[in-house]
Amino acid sequence: MRYDSITEAIGNTPLVRIDPDVHGLRNIDLYAKLELLNPFGSVKDRAAWNMARPHLTEAVEHGSQVVELSSGNTAKALAVIAGMHGLGFKSVTNRMRVPEIKDLLLLLGAQIEELPGQSECLDPTATDDPLTLFHRNLSASGSAYLHTDQYFNPRNTEAHLTGTGPEIVKDLDGRAPDWFVACVGTAGSSTGVARFLRETDPDVRVLGLVAAKSDFIPGIRTIDEVQEVGLFDPDTYDTMESVSADDAIEGMLALNRRCGILAGPTGGAAYFGAVRHLRQLDAESAERQVAVFIVCDRVESYLSYVRKRRPDLLGRPPRKNSPADLSDAEIRTAPAIGVGDAQAWIATDRPLLVDLRSPYAYAALHIDGSVNIVDELFAELVQGGLPFSRRQPVLLACPVGEQSARYAALLTRMGHPDVRSLAGGIIAWRDAGAPLVRD
Amino acid sequence: MGGEPLYLEPRLGPRLRSLLESAELLHMLTDALGSPLNLVVPDQIAENLERFRSVYREHHLSGQIFYAHKANRSSALLRRLAATDAGVDVASLGELQHALGAGFTPDRITATGPKNPEFLWLAARTGVTVSVDSASELDQLAALVRAHKLSPVRVLLRLSGFETSGVKVLSRPSRFGTPVGELNLLLKAVERHAGAVDLAGVAYHLDTTSVAEKATALEGCLEALEVCRSRGLRPRAVDIGGGFGVNYLAHGEQWERYTTELTAAVLGRRPSLARGGHGYGLRAESGTVRGSLGLYPAHRPVAGARYLDELLSQPAASLGGRPLAALLLEHLHDLYTEPGRALLDQCGITVAKVLEVRSPDTGAELLVRLALKADDVALEEHGVLMDPVVIPGNGTGPRTKTGGEPVGVHLFGSLCLETDMITRRTVFLPRRPAPGDLMAFANTAGYAMDFHATRAQLQPVAHKAAVWQDGDTWRWCLDDQYWPITPPGEPH
Repeated sequence: MRYDSITEAIGNTPLVRIDPDVHGLRNIDLYAKLELLNPFGSVKDRAAWNMARPHLTEAVEHGSQVVELSSGNTAKALAVIAGMHGLGFKSVTNRMRVPEIKDLLLLLGAQIEELPGQSECLDPTATDDPLTLFHRNLSASGSAYLHTDQYFNPRNTEAHLTGTGPEIVKDLDGRAPDWFVACVGTAGSSTGVARFLRETDPDVRVLGLVAAKSDFIPGIRTIDEVQEVGLFDPDTYDTMESVSADDAIEGMLALNRRCGILAGPTGGAAYFGAVRHLRQLDAESAERQVAVFIVCDRVESYLSYVRKRRPDLLGRPPRKNSPADLSDAEIRTAPAIGVGDAQAWIATDRPLLVDLRSPYAYAALHIDGSVNIVDELFAELVQGGLPFSRRQPVLLACPVGEQSARYAALLTRMGHPDVRSLAGGIIAWRDAGAPLVRD
Repeated sequence: MGGEPLYLEPRLGPRLRSLLESAELLHMLTDALGSPLNLVVPDQIAENLERFRSVYREHHLSGQIFYAHKANRSSALLRRLAATDAGVDVASLGELQHALGAGFTPDRITATGPKNPEFLWLAARTGVTVSVDSASELDQLAALVRAHKLSPVRVLLRLSGFETSGVKVLSRPSRFGTPVGELNLLLKAVERHAGAVDLAGVAYHLDTTSVAEKATALEGCLEALEVCRSRGLRPRAVDIGGGFGVNYLAHGEQWERYTTELTAAVLGRRPSLARGGHGYGLRAESGTVRGSLGLYPAHRPVAGARYLDELLSQPAASLGGRPLAALLLEHLHDLYTEPGRALLDQCGITVAKVLEVRSPDTGAELLVRLALKADDVALEEHGVLMDPVVIPGNGTGPRTKTGGEPVGVHLFGSLCLETDMITRRTVFLPRRPAPGDLMAFANTAGYAMDFHATRAQLQPVAHKAAVWQDGDTWRWCLDDQYWPITPPGEPH
């Protein structure tokens, strides 16, 4: 395969059969359409390219900025496409809740604008919602924007009507599947694919998946939010069902760990929703059937999403010399010293004075002569053993004497004979009128 | 009525639940003091304060919790707080006088908001901390201090217009505060007025439910304090205002179902949920919902003290990613907060008598007229949708407990105006109310109780009474008669 441009690599993604041992369906062959293998990483590459392509020449002439309301994959694809053509890209959103995606977009040169939160004190006289303002700004005279408008642009749907849908049928030897399962975001892929499949075989049944209302699954809208999408037509779907964030992660794990498909939570939701829905049919019918679901994007961008909801999945073996292993009694009886005594001790025995606060706080004000080792770094240091000589007395300080007590207990347990915690911390030091410096 | 009734049951803590079960007391009080009637629960505000304090303790933070007085003008609530260690944030001359009169010493008061010269003078005269909106206000304050030979006044500089690097947050512009970009000009004014003002810290207050926006502002304040310190000033406090929210509803599912049905109603897929097809900010445009829901997020799992905790736990990207609470602590800053609504959560109810229940010929919803004006219980004004609790006239406790057929009703008020609707939406009740019943609106102490009340058309404004529990019984006195030493058991 040789291409002149990366955009030629968009589409023609594989259709991969899921091992029946994993999904457990006896009479249904379940296939995953691996949209995660598009060059920019998701199903949105198709729509982004199809929407932007006809306008690029003109946009380049005018030096327009590409603008889209997107919290993730469409923004990613458009940022790349804009960059390839020397154009800027701006994403406006209030849904960008996955930090890695935000960082990746910034890395790609995107400008991100976040819509404000709801007003705490409702203003009943307010007439404009942020989105209306956004559209007004776009159409203001003299503005040079290429607004791809993914929620309303028919070229979003068309990308799937002419691409994704035909590819599925081709890979199933000219047959449409009995079932098509898609998560509903912009409704572009579900609508476009469904339309093509029904043209091939009017009996295709379409399952649309939305997020449970109180939940957040990246790339999927809730049952209310889909009503705001211009491309959404309830008649596209024979059935609408909702999936929870937990379901999405469960499905994602099955794809990741058992199928070798590095899908993100949206693909996980599609898999989970597909199997949940098909299980009943599988039990009722002995007829051989085929179902296809879309794996929208990759897992790598969602690690913080997983960490927040299922920290157990990212568990690591316990660390050595961790302050977490200390008992309350050990911490309570850790050697400590009050401000007055500490001042005397510093004058006579010159202990090494370690300030465990952040470098910013340390830079602002600290005890003269202290060194700054921020607590996270200190925790790393002591994993490997005592970071200073046993003959060197040590005074540890933190804001209120809590962290320092932990580390004093830990170092004592590790065999240091003369380590103490500054009781009450830097705050007690300040409140006692002892000097703090910034140098 | 169109399908199942859509209830929005209020969340009731133990005190309000017990109060609403005291039907006899509520009837006696409305008979004696008239309808509408506001009841406040001073002990609750002390408990709410303690919840905020515990968040401070968890993060080892010092600093003051200032009750935002404007949320309710009750003397009982204010005096009960005066007996705790709380502060109060006053936004007018009257509020300042009220706070001083309730027992707050000046070191526990901050003056904020738009200020007239009298307010500014009394603040400076008594030595309360002044949250300064602009350089010109600072000039005005300093001039007063000099002209009247007053002691230097502690000031907080209220900042606005915080920006993040990387991601731009399109926060609503505020008419309060000085843009953080003009901090240097403001600090020059502080230095110029060195003998007249004493910089205590910086402040912000953002009208948003977004934690991210507030975190950005708090981070901006930490940086602003660094600028102050680098100029040799020694401010200590960051005042992050309030807006921590209240969770009004008992059941999240009811709220989710209601808002889904509201969307369906706007799209014409079910009968309207409000008079005249009102969509609360949503509208249909060729089959698609446009606009944004102009409602208070009435079911909020994270509200009040928990919201503060979440805010303090946000990482500060420009300061090494440590949580904001850790940074406040490490920098030895005091945290000031100004909760109003959140401190008043579960602190009061508004009760009104049902005067008339009318069945329209069309078979539409019942029209229920209350001895109350829409302004007396401004829940809808603030976009808070919450069902009233019906207390039957026979004194057998809330009617939700007894059987009967659900009904949809429209609640209207006692003003001779078409617009005097207590609720624009259809309210579903477990059974038909009757004249002589009481309707109690729960959790109205924050902004909904008397914030908008008027004497229009010479209709009575609600009397206000304080209630407290003495063992198993509720006791009461007029709001103005309440002092923290009033309840038995307190030292006289």
